[in-house]
Amino acid sequence: MTSLAERALDAAVRHATYLIFAAVLLWFGLQSPVFLMPESLANIVKQSSFIGIAAIGMTFVLLTGGIDLSVGSVMFLAALIAGMVMRALDLPVPAGMVVALLTGVVLGLINAFFIVVLRVIPFIVTLATLFLFRGFGIWLTSSTQFDFPPAMRAFGLSSILGVPLPIVVFAAFALMAHVVLAHTTFGRQVYAFGNDPEAARKSGVKIAWVQARVYVISSACAAVAGFVLIAQIGRLDAGFGEGREFDVIAAAVLGGASLMGGSGTALGAVMGATLIQTVKMGLVFTGVNLYLQPILQGAIIFLAVLADGLRNTRMRSRLRRTIRTVEPASGPAGRRI
Amino acid sequence: MNLLTKFAALAVVAGGASLGGQAQAATICFAFQDLETEFWVAGHKAITTTLTEAGHQVIERNANEDANRQLEQVRDCVAQGVDGIIIIPQDGDSATTIVREAQDADVPIAVFNRPPTDLSRGIVVVADNATIAEAATDFVVEQALENATEDRQLNALIIVGDLGDPNAVGRRDGFRAAIAKHEDRFNVIEVASNWDAGTALANLEAAVTANPQIDLMFTSSDFLFPTIRSVLEPRGMWKTAGEEGHIPLAGLDGDATACQLIKDGYVSATGVQDLYFEAESALTAILAAIEAGDTAPNEVIEDPGFALTQDNLAEREMDMWGCVLLADGFLNR
Repeated sequence: MTSLAERALDAAVRHATYLIFAAVLLWFGLQSPVFLMPESLANIVKQSSFIGIAAIGMTFVLLTGGIDLSVGSVMFLAALIAGMVMRALDLPVPAGMVVALLTGVVLGLINAFFIVVLRVIPFIVTLATLFLFRGFGIWLTSSTQFDFPPAMRAFGLSSILGVPLPIVVFAAFALMAHVVLAHTTFGRQVYAFGNDPEAARKSGVKIAWVQARVYVISSACAAVAGFVLIAQIGRLDAGFGEGREFDVIAAAVLGGASLMGGSGTALGAVMGATLIQTVKMGLVFTGVNLYLQPILQGAIIFLAVLADGLRNTRMRSRLRRTIRTVEPASGPAGRRI
Repeated sequence: MNLLTKFAALAVVAGGASLGGQAQAATICFAFQDLETEFWVAGHKAITTTLTEAGHQVIERNANEDANRQLEQVRDCVAQGVDGIIIIPQDGDSATTIVREAQDADVPIAVFNRPPTDLSRGIVVVADNATIAEAATDFVVEQALENATEDRQLNALIIVGDLGDPNAVGRRDGFRAAIAKHEDRFNVIEVASNWDAGTALANLEAAVTANPQIDLMFTSSDFLFPTIRSVLEPRGMWKTAGEEGHIPLAGLDGDATACQLIKDGYVSATGVQDLYFEAESALTAILAAIEAGDTAPNEVIEDPGFALTQDNLAEREMDMWGCVLLADGFLNR
């Protein structure tokens, strides 16, 4: 019989990321009480939305055991094309957001074409499109900044029922992704593909179609993420989104997504992105030396990933212990359960 | 002096150097790390246009912010037998390696604006970032002190660039030097940007939430002014000089946006790197070295820069490259 202490340990290990998140909040709150004020907490979620939305899309890709390195460039190019179309056709901002989303879909289809049809490995394809998409955007702008219409910033700084718009979009994407992954056939197919593509294929899953869709979803999420951030600034610089793929992957992995595929959730990505942003904000609030900030960020993220690794190891070992040989009532031959 | 006149003056420099003794036009490799901001775009344009119009051949290489790739690109240029190299390096350490590599291959090299950690080799054209930043900060420090009561402790916020970039470090040092003159009056709040608008937005929001009373602000690059506006405006802190709640703002670079914001009264001062002086100096030095057959010219050319402020705007406006671009309609394109 499992002792109370062991059950408590199990619970702690199972929810290690949440406990670390709570510990981080508490630590920075003690250092600077303002950090726990509603405005600060809302600010953390708002600033998490950019990486968080992209991390939700990345989770779909990671679930299939793939990777998408082009998300930073998609953020840049989709926002740019949306801005150009908005300016040329005098479109309102919500329509611009739809244009960004559609651009993301098209860019995702390009990735999917090479990965699914031409069977090039995702790392190489998305590494190539990382440069291709950014290069195209820089060619379009000649490296100069692109200013969005004033309505863009009004949109980015607006709120719905007092909730800042970036948080609303973040929540909507998180909810949709959660429903898709946890409650739809497509979601189950994504997990099946990530656990064993061959077994999924033999069981009738159209794996090429599943794989293509996750890259489209990833790019679409990245495109909206870029648009949401640019809506807050109003100006797109040539360096926008550069290197963000690493933040996005880190957030998804921190949220429990495995680089090997088969495990991860949309809400985990939300947690991962929010934890990273909480650490960053906490370091600003407490005025930590700028040279130490990247070290501390890395250390806390490492700790969270390590805890996640320990949790998985412990869960696997506990599952092994339940496998035992039992004697059936009617015969000598044992069976494994 | 408009943009055309500036380029014409540079072309005379490049043309003069080439006609002075070279029988043939030179082939110059221009390797830059990326063109993320107005400053780099304008610098790139000044150098390439000037060289091309003077009849030289320019081989351009963009490293996309990858120091290793830039080293490979420079090696490739050397293998192609170029006469000289001009680089805008990714960082100070990689610049030192690239300069050594070029000189060891007997190709003269000039480093534009971002200095190597070792200044003893190569032609190094560099702005005196610390002095320029100090001059711009001095101006807003005086404004902040004028606005405050004697006994109140003031908050001075700096948005710091990428601390792997010597320019960012120099600008931070200059800011701190200006604050140190009134050390007892100021708390310093440092906000990291890593030269990224998204990072700056998130960190500045946090800093302003934690410290709602900001008495002056300095950004290590003018390209972050739109980001600053996004944080201050919803809080009612984006005001012109003379309005209640105005925060004295200063920057560094001297771009077109900063020029417009100084004219509008939102920004009090910006440190100006004399882009055209730097481009002219780099071109003159590298072409002179090629002409003289000097394969390892070593020289540090310092751009003293200046601070364009609300006070000297009328006299010095057209000394700032961003105001020249602004007058040329840059922000309306």
